[in-house]
Amino acid sequence: MVQYNFKRITVVPNGKEFVDIILSRTQRQTPTVVHKGYKINRLRQFYMRKVKYTQTNFHAKLSAIIDEFPRLEQIHPFYGDLLHVLYNKDHYKLALGQVNTARNLISKISKDYVKLLKYGDSLYRCKCLKVAALGRMCTVLKRITPSLAYLEQIRQHMARLPSIDPNTRTVLICGYPNVGKSSFMNKVTRADVDVQPYAFTTKSLFVGHTDYKYLRYQVIDTPGILDRPFEDRNIIEMCSITALAHLRAAVLFFLDISGSCGYTIAQQAALFHSIKSLFMNKPLVIVCNKTDLMPMENISEEDRKLIEEMKSEAMKTAMGASEEQVLLKMSTLTDEGVMSVKNAACERLLDQRVEAKMKSKKINDHLNRFHVAIPKPRDSIERLPCIPQVVLEAKAKEAAAMEKRKTEKDLEEENGGAGVYSASLKKNYILQHDEWKEDIMPEILDGHNVADFIDPDILQRLAELEREEGIREAGVEEADMEMDIEKLSDEQLKQLSEIRKKKAILIKNHRLKKTVAQNRSTVPRKFDKDKKYTTKRMGRELSAMGLDPSSAMDRARSKSRGRKRDRSEDAGNDAMDVDDEQQSNKKQRVRSKSRAMSISRSQSRPPAHEVVPGEGFKDSTQKLSAIKISNKSHKKRDKNARRGEADRVIPTLRPKHLFSGKRGKGKTDRR
Amino acid sequence: MATRLQFENNCEVGVFSKLTNAYCLVAIGGSENFYSAFESELADVIPIVKTSIGGTRIIGRLCAGNKNGLLVPHTTTDQELQHLRNSLPDQVVVQRIDERLSALGNCIACNDYVALAHTDLDKETEEIIADVLGVEVFRQTIAGNILVGSYCALSNKGGMVHPHTSVEDLEELSTLLQVPLVAGTVNRGSEVIAAGMTVNDWTSFCGSDTTATELSVIDSIFKLREAQPSSIVDEMRKSLIDTYV
Repeated sequence: MVQYNFKRITVVPNGKEFVDIILSRTQRQTPTVVHKGYKINRLRQFYMRKVKYTQTNFHAKLSAIIDEFPRLEQIHPFYGDLLHVLYNKDHYKLALGQVNTARNLISKISKDYVKLLKYGDSLYRCKCLKVAALGRMCTVLKRITPSLAYLEQIRQHMARLPSIDPNTRTVLICGYPNVGKSSFMNKVTRADVDVQPYAFTTKSLFVGHTDYKYLRYQVIDTPGILDRPFEDRNIIEMCSITALAHLRAAVLFFLDISGSCGYTIAQQAALFHSIKSLFMNKPLVIVCNKTDLMPMENISEEDRKLIEEMKSEAMKTAMGASEEQVLLKMSTLTDEGVMSVKNAACERLLDQRVEAKMKSKKINDHLNRFHVAIPKPRDSIERLPCIPQVVLEAKAKEAAAMEKRKTEKDLEEENGGAGVYSASLKKNYILQHDEWKEDIMPEILDGHNVADFIDPDILQRLAELEREEGIREAGVEEADMEMDIEKLSDEQLKQLSEIRKKKAILIKNHRLKKTVAQNRSTVPRKFDKDKKYTTKRMGRELSAMGLDPSSAMDRARSKSRGRKRDRSEDAGNDAMDVDDEQQSNKKQRVRSKSRAMSISRSQSRPPAHEVVPGEGFKDSTQKLSAIKISNKSHKKRDKNARRGEADRVIPTLRPKHLFSGKRGKGKTDRR
Repeated sequence: MATRLQFENNCEVGVFSKLTNAYCLVAIGGSENFYSAFESELADVIPIVKTSIGGTRIIGRLCAGNKNGLLVPHTTTDQELQHLRNSLPDQVVVQRIDERLSALGNCIACNDYVALAHTDLDKETEEIIADVLGVEVFRQTIAGNILVGSYCALSNKGGMVHPHTSVEDLEELSTLLQVPLVAGTVNRGSEVIAAGMTVNDWTSFCGSDTTATELSVIDSIFKLREAQPSSIVDEMRKSLIDTYV
């Protein structure tokens, strides 16, 4: 996750290529065929489109350049200052400013010439205006060719800058040239910085990574710094100064106590004091390198005093670090003390970062991550680990020979590799007899799933289940006994018999009625063609049910008081009414017989308008109305000589033989 | 000591394996690399069984077990059950459970003495867990998550729980389980602890994405390689602060 990555900036073409790119695109993407006979509007549109399209492409490409290059004020100050040191902020901004100016000028040119083209009056004039517009745009771009070349150089160099994360844990190596900074870098990281026995081998920043206490640190190697006024420092030295100023890193100030770098300890001490303001608020370690050439004991008294001054100065920024951590000895050639220097620097930096984070409020959200909950005893049960004895013995003789066991992976490689080798899953079975491993266990045997019966205790469980089943069956029998106790008393039996008998009679009457009725329609009960529903019978039945029938009979009689003739008929029929199924059946047969006799004797038939019981009419008036409606409904049909509603015969309306005259002279074929 | 490995380019090794103090279950893979990683560490000590459960390879999330027993879901076929019984020692009881929540590895977190269970498990299942595994069963949540088996890795020496577990919850769970507990992560910040690692009393296996810091916390809390839980609050405190804050 590199935050600053300058490798993705698009290539910046030079001025000539730029013009070629844009004009070629205009030529290929816009129409090119035009005739002077076209209407003037069409000619104007044709050339305005070319001008506008060219301007759009210029604008897009120049905008991409302006947007992709980083803005120095909006990026991390380390990178801002580094780019300033390398490329000069003023030149950089001027170059981008000129690109922006060119973009604005081209837009203005396009606008002006589109306006002129709207008033073009001929093909020739329109074409001249288009050529002038494109020419002026190219002239503007030609003027910024130096800026484009400068930006391309910057882009190439930016792509080669190391990916330094300014916010992560950083160890910074600084000092005079040729004191062993790059050698240390190569020792503690996997970087491969060039190492030579002369000054300024390292001319730019290099970055490597190392681990300390499970955390990753980036180590930055810088070019050497000479002791001279700030204004006289060159670009190479300013890279180091920039890194020292803006990176919150642990600083390793390298000191060559042997003098083989070409500078004395006094000169190195003077440099230290002149740049010590850059070490503020940073963990600082002074490293005495090349102790293989000049042990610390052999240093002269004057030089020792200078080193002590540097040490006391460093102690001011130590912020609690012990003296042993401020001044360290090391030799990159013999690797003596290299790791202790790295560990000291990383430890100091980690302490500082942790101290800063402990003061912030964010740590409250993560306090549980640094806490180990130790259990409090809640009972007297002892819970010991369950480590097999083999493991303990193996740990005891940890130094013993590590005889490698042949694993499945080795077998796989011997037998053809993955996809070919198929290991047996039964190889490691734990059975009473090893020869049982390869036995084939059937799934289904005699129609039963074998797994359902694999149980050593199955007979015992079966006995238990049978016992439980016996207990349950005994319970069921008791329930049945209880059912038998409930018997009907004699009175209840008599009532039950009467109820069933009555139901049978009703069913029988219903079936008889359906049989005798044949095709006659069902008539409402009030017409009472069987004369079954009489007042006397109602009274008798109510009395049988234990109710007083007098009020009901009186109400029925009052309703029929106005019909004197009907009453006389009813009175006559009452004598024949018998409440018995057989007699009722006999009466029914008599009625049918009398009806048949009446049909055969036509002379005794009643007049058509007289109502015969069973016809469904309440009186003769209703019957006459019905007959009239019926005649009216088929009058039209009769007039048309139809036999009925279903008669749809279509006769031959014009038969040929009746309407054709004599034959002429021609053929007899009528077709 | 913790070992880093992966199963067919998947770092969630706890999904494809189940490690206890008496046996180890491993999924059947296309090659023997995953199995051999366990074999080289454990083959002379405990049986390592290659198996499937219900036809799937996610055996670590479907079964729950310790040195006393192994619980498998109702989806296990009879042949798989027979294979497990043939492969495991006699003192390990293999029991098939008819439980609605069939991902037992996600619902139950246990060592050889105590188990945490999903709050919605049936009463009968809880009794079976207590009988077969020989443990005390507590219904608990971890950092508000009911899948206790996923967010918790336990052994008889220590345990690791969801990184958002508060200090009070840590203390309460530690008293219930009677082991030291720490809130940590595996596989470069993954909070699903049990899916990314599997552990017993003397060894552990993690996904290959596990960072050095996480690996060190695991070594400390489970007391692998002579490390102690107190080193998390002593030696590693600075590293953890700089990493997490």
